[in-house]
Amino acid sequence: MTAGNDVVIDVAALATRFGTQSVHQDLDLQVRRGELVALIGGSGTGKSVLLREILGLQRPSAGSIRLLGTDMWNADAPTLAATRKRFGMMFQEGALFSSLTVAANVATPLLEHTDTPPEFLPKLVNLRLSLAGLSPDVGGKMPAQLSGGMKKRAAIARALALEPEVLFLDEPTSGLDPITARAFDQLLAFLNSDLGLTVLVVTHDLDTLLSIARRIVVLGRGKVLADGTAEQVMQVDDPWIQSYFASRRAAPDAPAPATRSIADGT
Amino acid sequence: MLHLGGSWRLPQLRNLQDELAALGQTLRDALAEGCGLPIDGSGLHDIDTAAALLLLDALRQAGVDTASLTLQGFDARHARIVEVVRGRLGDTVAGPAPRLMNMVAHFGQAFVGLGSLLLGHVEFLGRVLAALWRLACKPHTLRVHELFAQLGQVGVNAVPVVALVTFLIGVVMAYMLGIQAEKYGANIFVVDGVALGMTREFSPLIVATIMAGRSGAAFTAQLGTMKLTEETDAIRTLGLDPMQVLVLPRVLALTITLPLLVFVGNVAGIVGAMGMSGVTLDITPQTFIERLHIALAPRHYLIGLAKAPAFALFIAVIGCRMGMSVSRDTRSIGINTTSTVVQGIVAVILLDAIFAVIFQELGL
Repeated sequence: MTAGNDVVIDVAALATRFGTQSVHQDLDLQVRRGELVALIGGSGTGKSVLLREILGLQRPSAGSIRLLGTDMWNADAPTLAATRKRFGMMFQEGALFSSLTVAANVATPLLEHTDTPPEFLPKLVNLRLSLAGLSPDVGGKMPAQLSGGMKKRAAIARALALEPEVLFLDEPTSGLDPITARAFDQLLAFLNSDLGLTVLVVTHDLDTLLSIARRIVVLGRGKVLADGTAEQVMQVDDPWIQSYFASRRAAPDAPAPATRSIADGT
Repeated sequence: MLHLGGSWRLPQLRNLQDELAALGQTLRDALAEGCGLPIDGSGLHDIDTAAALLLLDALRQAGVDTASLTLQGFDARHARIVEVVRGRLGDTVAGPAPRLMNMVAHFGQAFVGLGSLLLGHVEFLGRVLAALWRLACKPHTLRVHELFAQLGQVGVNAVPVVALVTFLIGVVMAYMLGIQAEKYGANIFVVDGVALGMTREFSPLIVATIMAGRSGAAFTAQLGTMKLTEETDAIRTLGLDPMQVLVLPRVLALTITLPLLVFVGNVAGIVGAMGMSGVTLDITPQTFIERLHIALAPRHYLIGLAKAPAFALFIAVIGCRMGMSVSRDTRSIGINTTSTVVQGIVAVILLDAIFAVIFQELGL
């Protein structure tokens, strides 16, 4: 395998403008195969926009984006279609098809893009659900019947359907209770280590960052402000990064009295 | 020993399955001899979870105890994938297929559903009337701004389509009646036919049908989306009543505008008929209007207009109720909007039939 082949996501000199408002200027980012990268940044720094541009959903103003070796904004339709089968995306609210059962949601990409034998399909769907941490009987439910956390798991199961090489997630732990969120972190770590998926996750969850993300990319002022392990990123002298991590660092030293009394009370 | 080779991946699933099926007998023979079945993966180029599941599932179906399988010569990454799938093999067994309901059960379910739907409508109608009564006692609670916004959307914006459709109906009526009347030399009676038919029946019915499709559907889609985005809940928690803020302005707007639109329809229909009569029956506009004065008794005209508010109330109540009863998923907005249009049109025609009988009995 050549070195160039090893880079899965290659964003170069990216610029994004909405009218006069500039979101990204000259942004560079590379993700190698097998990495688990967390993308963070304040509101309006264009995390979700960057994700959508990488996925080929939104056209950047300038620059190039290569995903799995495909230039997402200059490739022809067949190449793009082939590339789309090689990555999975979990949208923030799941974006499950509400008219289909969970099992049918997971089966949709398999039915569309593969020649899976019909009698084998339910088993494969169950495996996908199981990989995402759902029991097989969830498959018969409609998305509206699921809790927020289960919806996100079902969305991951659907994203995993076609054996993707890269998995993108937009705020997977937002709106989840801490216990469910930690279980989600473990799921991502498992997908990354055991199935060898490259994972790019947009998140605001400090626990996710500190526990599973081996590489953190901070977006701000249209560029990559910092890139490295949690320790390296914390050393960067930037007010936003400092206050972001300070909110966490202060906590164990001086727990607020109110927190303690609640803890005592229960 | 089972040797795996080549690429075991999702796109090759069908070929792999065929090969495994061909292998079935050999497998069973090997098992019958009681030899353990180590799997050699040294020739594997690649394997993914789908193919691993296919393999393990086939082995399990052949009677192999998958838990005691030993893997040999696997690349570390491949072995991990096979182990992941092996650990979850129990979860992948497909449950029994859901039982299909028979026709009688479907019929019963549909009937019960219709019953509860109608009960819900009656209840909602009651709540709307109660809210209207409260509004009549305290007129200052009327949401004037919202009411005028709705009047614009429901009424003013609907004028072009209403005028166009009724104009064309007038043209068609004059033409069709003219063909018959000409045979008897009774051209002038076309005016009677069009005037009566248009003002008393066609205009109210057609305009109400258009509005059931246009405004009824809009009400359901608007309120349903607001329900989905929790806007109606926000209205409630702010101490406001969705009935007063959302439903009443819509009901009032449609009830006020539908008679006006029926009037527009009457005029457009008669103008259409007048034009057509001039062309095909040699009835000049002057003659047409003179005959109109004689033929069209005011009561026909008034009956037509009087039906409109009743149609409007039903369309608006159905539209709003279907919007407010959207469950929390996008699919039900589509289902309810479709249902609103169907129910609205059925309700209008049903009401029209009831009115016809009542007016007949009253001798109007």
